[in-house]
Amino acid sequence: MTELARPSIDFPSGRASALSRLWILTRKELWSFLVNPTSWLILFFFYLYRGIETYNLVLALRDGGDADVFGMQYLAGSSTYWAVVLLPSLLTMKAFAEEKRTGSLELLMSSPIQDHEVVIGKYLGSLLFFALLWLPTMLLLLVLQSPLFLDVQLSLTQVSVGYLGLFLLGSLLVSVGIFTSSLTDNQLLASLASMLAAYALMVFPPQLAGDQTTVDSSLLPMVIEQISVIQHLGSWFFRGLIDTGHVFFYVSTSLLFLFLTTRVVESRKWR
Amino acid sequence: MIEVQDLIKDYGSFRAVDRLSFSVAEGEIVGFLGPNGAGKTTTIRILTGFHAASSGQVHVAGLDVLSNSLDVRSSLAYLPENVPLYPDLRVQEYLRYRAAMKGVPRRKVRSSVDEAMEKAGVTEMRRKLIGAVSRGYRQRVGLADALVSDPPLLILDEPTSGLDPNQRAKIRDLIRALQWQHTVLFSSHILSDVEDVCDRIVLIHRGRKRADGSLEEIARLHGDPELQMEVRTDAYTLPSLLEGLPLKDEPILKQLGSSWIDVRVHLHGGEDGEDRFHDQALDLLDRRIKERQLPLRRLHLHAPGLEELFASLTLEEEAVQA
Repeated sequence: MTELARPSIDFPSGRASALSRLWILTRKELWSFLVNPTSWLILFFFYLYRGIETYNLVLALRDGGDADVFGMQYLAGSSTYWAVVLLPSLLTMKAFAEEKRTGSLELLMSSPIQDHEVVIGKYLGSLLFFALLWLPTMLLLLVLQSPLFLDVQLSLTQVSVGYLGLFLLGSLLVSVGIFTSSLTDNQLLASLASMLAAYALMVFPPQLAGDQTTVDSSLLPMVIEQISVIQHLGSWFFRGLIDTGHVFFYVSTSLLFLFLTTRVVESRKWR
Repeated sequence: MIEVQDLIKDYGSFRAVDRLSFSVAEGEIVGFLGPNGAGKTTTIRILTGFHAASSGQVHVAGLDVLSNSLDVRSSLAYLPENVPLYPDLRVQEYLRYRAAMKGVPRRKVRSSVDEAMEKAGVTEMRRKLIGAVSRGYRQRVGLADALVSDPPLLILDEPTSGLDPNQRAKIRDLIRALQWQHTVLFSSHILSDVEDVCDRIVLIHRGRKRADGSLEEIARLHGDPELQMEVRTDAYTLPSLLEGLPLKDEPILKQLGSSWIDVRVHLHGGEDGEDRFHDQALDLLDRRIKERQLPLRRLHLHAPGLEELFASLTLEEEAVQA
C-alpha cells in the first residue's frame, strides 16, 4: 500500500470568505429571478390584481368612503392575502427541487461552499425578490396618501411597520417554501406543499380560536394567538404596532425551517 | 493527488463501491472506466464530497475529503455527466458567477473567465443563453467552468459523451493540453477517447477494481492475444500445426479462395512475463509450417485493444454467474 501523500496546501485558487460566498450566491439567485420570464409573469398578475383593488379603493374613497380606514384597507386587501399564500411558494419552488432534478446541485455542492450557506443564500435571494415585489406597492401607498392625491394622512410608522409585518411573514413562508423544495425534485409538489402550509397558517388559527370556548385550557389560546398570523397582521402590524413576541415568532420559525432544510440537504451524504 | 483506500459505499443493502483502492499521482491523466452502474459516479461523488463514504479513506491533495471538505473542494473542479448548467444565464455571466464562487479574486474574475472561455473554445458564445447553445457547446461551457479556477485536479465525468467526432477530438486535445499543469481523472464510455488521452486506466466493475495500469500492462495481465494466420493448407493438417499451443478457444477458420485458410484463435494470456511464452508459441508454429513447407501469407499475434479488454474484464464475471 502506498503511503498517503501528506498535506501540501498551496492552492492556486483561493477561497472566498463565507460572507462573500453567501453574497455571490444570493446575488445569483436574485439575478436568476430577474432574468426568468416566469417571475415577470408572476409580477404581472400580482400588480394587475393589486392595481384593480387599489383603483376600487380610490373610487370608494372618492364616493365618500372613510379616509381613516384607507391605509388599513390598502394593506389588508384580499390581494395581500393571496400574494402571501402564493408568492413565497412560487418563488421558492425551484430553489432545490429544480437543482436536484437537473443535477446542478451536484455541481454547486462541488464548489467550496457549505451546505448551510447554500440554504441561506437561496433563502435570501427569494426573500429579497419577495421584498422587491412589495416595494412598488409601498411607494404607491406613500404617494396616494400624500396631500397631493388623496390626502388621507397615514403615519409613516404605520406604513413601514405594516410592511415589516409582511416582510416577516414572507420570511417565514419563504423558509417553509425552501424547506418543501429541498424535500423533493418535483417543483409542482414543492409549491403545492408550501401553498398548503401557508394556507393552513392563515385559516386554521382563526377557526381554532373560534372553537376555543369549548376547550378549557389556558395554554391553547396562547398558542393560537402566537401562530395566528392574520391576527398579527390585522391587529398589530397594519395598525403600526409591534409586539416583540411576534417578531421573535417569525424570526425563530424562519431559522427553524432553514435549519431543517440544511439537515435535509446534508442528508444526501448519508443515504 | 488522489488516494482512495478500501472505499466502501452502501446504498441501503446495495453495495455500490466495494473495497476500492487506487491512487492518482500529480500530473497524471487517468481514465476511470467501467460499465454503467459500476460505481464510477458514486466514487466521483465521494471524491467531490457530495456523498460520504460508508467506510474507507479518501484523500485529495493529501487532505481527507470529509474533514477538510472545503479545502478539498477548492483544489478540484468537477464536470458532472450531464453538464447541468443554468439555462437562464448567459455563458459569460454563468462563468463569472462560478469563478467568484470558487474563490477567484474579484480583480481576476474577468481575466480568468476570458482565459477559460478561450481554452474551451466558447468565446464566441459568451453572450448566448446557456439554454440556447448546442449540446457540444454546453459541454465546453462545463469544461470552461471546470478550468476557470485553475484547480490542480480536474474530475471529468463523461466529458465527450453525446458529441460528434470533431467535437470529441477538440475536447481530447484540450484534455491532453492540460497535462503537467493539472491532474485529470477522466471517466468515459468511449474507449477510444480513453486510449487516446490517458496515461493510465483504472477499470472497475460492480464496485470493485478489476484492472489498474497502462493499456499495455493491462493487456499483458488480462488480455488474450489473438493469433492471426493465413496459410495454404487443408483442414486435416491444421490440427497438427496448432497442437500444443496455449489455445483459449476453438479456432475460427475461413476459406479464402482456392486453398488459403484464414485462421483466428485466441491464446491464453494471463500471468506476467508471458510475452516470451507467446514468442515461443509463435516460433513453434513457424517451425512446424516450415517443416511441412506450407506457403504462409500472414502470421501475426494481435494484442487486445481496450475494447476487448473492457469486454473480457466486465463480461467474464457475468458469464460465470450466468
